[in-house]
Amino acid sequence: MNPLTATAVGKRYRTRWAVRDCSFAIPEGKVVALVGPNGAGKSTLLRMAAGLVRPTTGELRTFDTPVNGRIHPDVSFLAQNRSLYRDLTVRELTRAVAAMNDRWSADRVREVLGLLAGVDYDAKVGTLSAGALTQVAIAMALGRLPRLLLLDEPLSDLDPLARDETLRIIMTEVADRGTTVVMSSHLLSDLREVCDHILLIDGGRVQVDGDIEEVLARHRILVGPVAEESTVEGTLVSATRTERQATLLLREARPAPEGWAGTEPDLESLVMGYLRASRERRSSA
Amino acid sequence: MIWASWRRQRAQLITLLGMVVIGAGVITLLRSNMIDAINSSQLAHCVTQAIDECSAPAEVQKAFRTEWATPFQTAQILIIGLPALIGVFIGAPLFARELEQGTHVLAFTQSVSRTRWMVSKLVVALVPALIVLIVLQYLVWWWLTAAGALGPRLNGSFNPVNFGIDHVSPVGYALFAFALGTFVGVVSRRTLVAMTVGLGAFVVVRFALSGLVNDLVPAQRREVPAGSDVDLRQGGGLELEFGWLNASGQPIPHDKVSALIQACKSTPSGTPNTQEGFLACLPQSGLAKKYTSFIPESQAWQVHLVDAAIFGGLAVLLLVGTAWALRRQS
Repeated sequence: MNPLTATAVGKRYRTRWAVRDCSFAIPEGKVVALVGPNGAGKSTLLRMAAGLVRPTTGELRTFDTPVNGRIHPDVSFLAQNRSLYRDLTVRELTRAVAAMNDRWSADRVREVLGLLAGVDYDAKVGTLSAGALTQVAIAMALGRLPRLLLLDEPLSDLDPLARDETLRIIMTEVADRGTTVVMSSHLLSDLREVCDHILLIDGGRVQVDGDIEEVLARHRILVGPVAEESTVEGTLVSATRTERQATLLLREARPAPEGWAGTEPDLESLVMGYLRASRERRSSA
Repeated sequence: MIWASWRRQRAQLITLLGMVVIGAGVITLLRSNMIDAINSSQLAHCVTQAIDECSAPAEVQKAFRTEWATPFQTAQILIIGLPALIGVFIGAPLFARELEQGTHVLAFTQSVSRTRWMVSKLVVALVPALIVLIVLQYLVWWWLTAAGALGPRLNGSFNPVNFGIDHVSPVGYALFAFALGTFVGVVSRRTLVAMTVGLGAFVVVRFALSGLVNDLVPAQRREVPAGSDVDLRQGGGLELEFGWLNASGQPIPHDKVSALIQACKSTPSGTPNTQEGFLACLPQSGLAKKYTSFIPESQAWQVHLVDAAIFGGLAVLLLVGTAWALRRQS
């Protein structure tokens, strides 16, 4: 049973398609990096999975149940803007969120709030630092004891230390409970440490979907003379060229021809290659 | 759930409580001052008696009315205005602020259903507001009753201001204003838009529908012969129609009536007619009867019920609309 599957999902806002014809299945226990440029439809996809937005076409299922305007009991969602009641204290917020849930673990919340430096229960939520705010938001999400955790930009606005600590909380959750996580972020180097699966979206469509190791192994970065580019075999994703030298990102590449140096890309250069390709497609369209 | 809604609207509820306490204190004080003024001016018997039967000197009565006109009006305006205030400050921001700040996402991603969340917020916001309105309305009623014929009551139950602050009408208006505010708030997702548009729409609808209710309550009809000197106009009742009938009982158009009456005022020879001659002339000219249809003051409660039913019905429709819009909200 996949925690999250999408079948030809599309979402149109007036005339613009935010997500179009997206199909994928997230395997259980994975920590998925949902990446893509700004406006690629990452947020829309997560919000559809959380039952906040209804798809225009297709269907999303969480734990084999269609998402129909309501979040699945085993799913938790962390919104990008953290959407917490800022005029309440942490203690009051905890009580309010607990009251809105049938299944709630006060122990789990206490545990998460106690991690790192610990959060002051009597502080107003609005006065917390960005890091502590994220910690509170994650604690609220984990209080539901989810089996699928949807995180929309959990690391945005955080300083490096808070980013690291937030990732540690998420990793602790994964290690303790085997929770499946889907998180969107721009911070590829941070994602690399925690994620084992990548879902690259652009222009509302899935570009790459698979385990990071496998995906990286399928790609090659070749560096060689511009004049001999035609000797390279494989599917070209994108290329950057200087006067003499060409750097190519290839899928299903054959061994590098003479005069070319081939390496396996890291996650960052892979994603960059795809984003560059999609930008070129868009500007030429 | 109720606790969560209560906690989030605590400041508002404390404000409401403050309004009631201050309002009750001020009204009680004003009322006792007024009773002292009535007694010291020896106007006590004018409270219950009709104005022309009251034997107190006219200037004393006039002085009292002048002195108390402003407090009475202020109290009436308070009750007239409270429904609008409830709509603007309680109804409009209720969901608009959540949608504007994105905090609705928190509630929408918990296990509670959107409708239950909506209902709990509605109840916590609306019930205290209605209680405050009813308490203040009762206090004003209690005070104005003590003033009796010396106060605004003199103008009768169907005076638009008196009607608007009596019986169940204010509750009907408040329900409507509140529901209108929440609906516009959910649709516009902007607090300021909801407050201004809600207020504008409330004022327009409130006055546009104010006449409608009179046609929905069965009126009484009275007819008297043309020469009779019985006064058809009912004290305090609401007159809907007044006119003349010909011998066969058909109404006569108003312009024709005034021409005929004018003609009867002089004899055929051109000299002014006598009173007897005038009265005898009317049936001869075809003005057989005077008639009126009216709602007696004793039936005012029926009008209030119909009025509240109209505005309450609109409120229910708007709340259903709010629930529908919230379900579609992302």
